[in-house]
Amino acid sequence: MRESRLMLVQYVTAVLAVVLVSIHLIMQGVLYPYTTAISFSNILSIYRNGLYATFLEALLVVTLVHGFDGVRIILHEWRQTAPWSRWVDIGTILAIVISVGYGTRTVILAVFGGVAA
Amino acid sequence: MTNVRLRVQRFDPLTDVKPRMVDYEIPKREGMTVLDALLYARDYLDHSIALRFSCRQASCGSCGMKINGRPRLACYTQVDELGGEKVVAQPMDNFAIIKDLVTDLESFFSKHRGIKPYVIRSDSHETDHPSGEYLMKPEELEKILQFTYCIKCGLCTSSCPTVGTDSFFPGPQALAQSYRYLTDERDEGGKKRLEALDTAHGVWRCHFAGSCSSVCPKGVDPALGIQLLKRHVLGGKAPRTEGAVVWKPEAASVQAQK
Repeated sequence: MRESRLMLVQYVTAVLAVVLVSIHLIMQGVLYPYTTAISFSNILSIYRNGLYATFLEALLVVTLVHGFDGVRIILHEWRQTAPWSRWVDIGTILAIVISVGYGTRTVILAVFGGVAA
Repeated sequence: MTNVRLRVQRFDPLTDVKPRMVDYEIPKREGMTVLDALLYARDYLDHSIALRFSCRQASCGSCGMKINGRPRLACYTQVDELGGEKVVAQPMDNFAIIKDLVTDLESFFSKHRGIKPYVIRSDSHETDHPSGEYLMKPEELEKILQFTYCIKCGLCTSSCPTVGTDSFFPGPQALAQSYRYLTDERDEGGKKRLEALDTAHGVWRCHFAGSCSSVCPKGVDPALGIQLLKRHVLGGKAPRTEGAVVWKPEAASVQAQK
């Protein structure tokens, strides 16, 4: 993929991350008191709300793509050999796929009742 | 008459292990530039000081160096404006040292050549044998004018943090010149230029530190050019003035007859 497309993804995910993380923090700190927000039963009830589960999945994808792409950029600047660049790109894709996959698994298990309350 | 202490970084890669600083006492006179001070030191105190210079009027860009920690032209920096009685002259950062204050600009000019710093036309015969004059409107010229003032002194590249870490990064000078040619209404080489810039080590590695613009002795704003270039690359085509490219050999010949 051309670097300009990747940077476009980086900019779009940056803007989305600001919005989504802000909503997340408002919900964690304002709508739900922090101490109850992290209780197991509350978390499950939140996950089982379809709208919020979708929001969490979006937050997961946006922040991971933005974060790992940012690390990719730093690593490209760190060293400048062709094998290094290739492995950085492959490693970034793998890191995103594995992290998003594992996070999505958690969301799906929680939404569809794979975890006991 | 007061003296100024000129501290010069000396280093010969053939004989020295590491750079050393050497002090020279220079009689100061009104209007004395750092280049004047260096030439005094070389002429009267130590003939072995190596430095590069030519025009002495900030036109050639030869005497770029780090003066009191900041990239400047030695001929364009007066001793008085530095404040204090000590002037420290060091070679530019981000370049290999040939000797003392002389740096190797080969990679700099190589990157400059890499962006094809000339107008590219689809008709190569016309490029080599133009049949007339390519005319530009003043507003078209205005878009690129400041970037044409670049004297290729290397100060911007010396100050760029990305150049310091990424050896493939073209640097602010080359990128600003890319923008200058991409937006030149006479140029048709857009795609060829963009291919070289839209890479993992291309225009996107500029993090907008802005140091290139702050050190430019000619008032060029390379950081602005690079940000406009990013927009240009994302947009996929040049923000041209509609109908502004004019190729009028007839008009030129009419003008000549008048």
